[in-house]
Amino acid sequence: MEAFLKVEHLKKSFKHVEVLKDISFEVFKGEIMAILGPNGAGKSTTIRNIMGIMYPDEGSITFQGHQEIPRNMIGYLPEERGLYKNVKVMDILLYFAELKDYPLKKAKERALTYLKKFGLEGKENASVEELSKGMGQKVQFIASILHEPKFLILDEPFSGLDPVSQELFKEEIRSLAKNGTAILLSSHQMNLVEEMCDRLFLIHRGQKVIYGSMDNVKKEYANFKCTIRGKNQLDILQGLPEVQRVEQQDDTSVLYLTKDVQVASWLKHLPEEMEINELSIDRISLHEIFIDIATDKNMFREEATINA
Amino acid sequence: MRNAMKVAKWEIKRNLKNKSFLIGLFLTPAIFLAFMFIGSFFGGSDGEEEISTRVLVRDELGVFEVIEETVAVHKLNWELEATESSKEEILDELKESENTAFILLEQESFENGVIPVQTSEEINPFFMNQVQVLEVPLKTLQMEKLGLTEEQLSAFSKQIIFEGTSIEEPATTVEEESDILGEDPLERVIPGAFAGIILLSIVFSGMYIFQSASQEKKDKVAEIVLSSLTPGELMQGKIIGYFILGMIQAVVFLGFGIPIALWKLDIPILDYLIGPEVLLFVLIAILGYLLFAALFVGVGATMADMSSAGNFQGMVMMLPFLPFVFIGPVIGDPGGLIAQIGTYIPFTAPGVLLLRLTFLEEWPWIEIIVSLVILGISIWLCMKLAGKIFKTGILMYGKNATPKEIWKWIRS
Repeated sequence: MEAFLKVEHLKKSFKHVEVLKDISFEVFKGEIMAILGPNGAGKSTTIRNIMGIMYPDEGSITFQGHQEIPRNMIGYLPEERGLYKNVKVMDILLYFAELKDYPLKKAKERALTYLKKFGLEGKENASVEELSKGMGQKVQFIASILHEPKFLILDEPFSGLDPVSQELFKEEIRSLAKNGTAILLSSHQMNLVEEMCDRLFLIHRGQKVIYGSMDNVKKEYANFKCTIRGKNQLDILQGLPEVQRVEQQDDTSVLYLTKDVQVASWLKHLPEEMEINELSIDRISLHEIFIDIATDKNMFREEATINA
Repeated sequence: MRNAMKVAKWEIKRNLKNKSFLIGLFLTPAIFLAFMFIGSFFGGSDGEEEISTRVLVRDELGVFEVIEETVAVHKLNWELEATESSKEEILDELKESENTAFILLEQESFENGVIPVQTSEEINPFFMNQVQVLEVPLKTLQMEKLGLTEEQLSAFSKQIIFEGTSIEEPATTVEEESDILGEDPLERVIPGAFAGIILLSIVFSGMYIFQSASQEKKDKVAEIVLSSLTPGELMQGKIIGYFILGMIQAVVFLGFGIPIALWKLDIPILDYLIGPEVLLFVLIAILGYLLFAALFVGVGATMADMSSAGNFQGMVMMLPFLPFVFIGPVIGDPGGLIAQIGTYIPFTAPGVLLLRLTFLEEWPWIEIIVSLVILGISIWLCMKLAGKIFKTGILMYGKNATPKEIWKWIRS
């Protein structure tokens, strides 16, 4: 796969605080790459540096090998976004398309198609003020993809959307990637990221924490955990093989298993006297990894590093 | 530049489609003109109802015809009436009437040089001034009586004028100057007023820039727009767009103003407007606009909201009104020190320069050029600073920048 965007050794400081410390990643054509991290981790700063809205102190950003930002090829949905009030939906869409040098006639056709797709048919002549927040968000999304960008940056595209609209956005983003668009997506909603993304970059305090394909990350970091409901003694549970750590709360115990555990054979080790009202085995979700990192527990990570 | 033009086009289109802008566009000149003409309506009606003064003359010298002529020449609102009645009768009559005066031209008083004038209790307050015009014909008569020749007469009646000549300046007689002023003060005043209207319109549209820049922040559109162009292009686009909007405002203003002025004032305004002065005046107005536009676009970008303007921002907003401080002194003495100081302060230069050039007969070219150079440099500087402030400020959402922060952006 060909990389559209290459970020290398990016560094940026505000005052004397280093907010980006040696960030490097790539976004390939036709893939959805997620940039994740808690609030204030440096996601938006990274994106703004890519967009040339800020300039990095060190490091390089190249687009298909070129330093210059191919603005007309990029679609950008910033986190802080809005629309001019007092103007018609179609006018603002065409203005954004014009700024990208996209032919107006084609832009108009595409705008109408997309408005219809997002359930905003007939709203093209409505004033922006009349739109609900969700509708506004859809218009912003349309504005970012109207000019058929080769590279799309979506900063928190799902925030404030209802599940139906989320689904619509997801589908559209997927189909764009399928058609070869390189997509950089930042989000807090881990389940969505887990579902959609091909690769991810997890950033915390301006530093890389995890970078790799979703499957690898899961394999690498997401060990199995076994959740048991029922009254059981802690030392019995801790005495079981392949158990790294046990968390008990009320009648629920969570057993974190080692990376190489064979689930089927491990189950046989459960003693018969155990009280099991419910039992589930699943991998640690991206969500949990995220929270773990964001709250500085670093439990999975250390283990993962040890095991890696 | 192409991107800047797109922004400009958009700003124009957006505003022209905006109802509140359109209302403002037509309402501002309407209100302005209404206030201007309310005064003249009242003034006009006063003049029409002015009661003429009845002047009774008992002429023992045989100069009534000459007096009639003089009154006609000076267009005095007098009803002259020759009378033969006795002094006592007339004085009785005066007690009964209003706006009536009695001039007694007797041989004795004529020789003394003091001519008694009796007026009724109520009389035009300017009457005693008006009466003085009769001095000339009477004086002439007096001298004729003394048997002077025509030549002697004309030498006598000619006033003596002091001609002032300083060493550096070429000689200009007081007489000549007053001639020019008397001949055509409108030649300068009308282009001056024209440029004033343009300056005012574009300063107002400068205010719109200010609003537009802070609105951009409030609506959080800036970042989307900046993904397609540079902050510099966005800023230029706004300045150009609002300049054109200001010109539209000026055209609407003049579109209202010129026909009304033609109708009310009866002056061939258009003839005065077509002259080389207008070009310089318009240039000054445009430079003034660029200066304030740069200032406003920069400051607008530091504010989260129009309503949250801090002291610092408020002060900057007041700058275009600084020339008003100079209006009095400049009109009083267009060549004076205060006027010169005003010419050299960038923020007052456009306004003061326009005022001075309107009232000064001899244009001080060196001062004009120095002032234009100062303006040019200030514009360049302000644009540079505004660019820096705009770049950072426009993306700072939800809060106002402090002067300290702004200083930091400028230095970075």
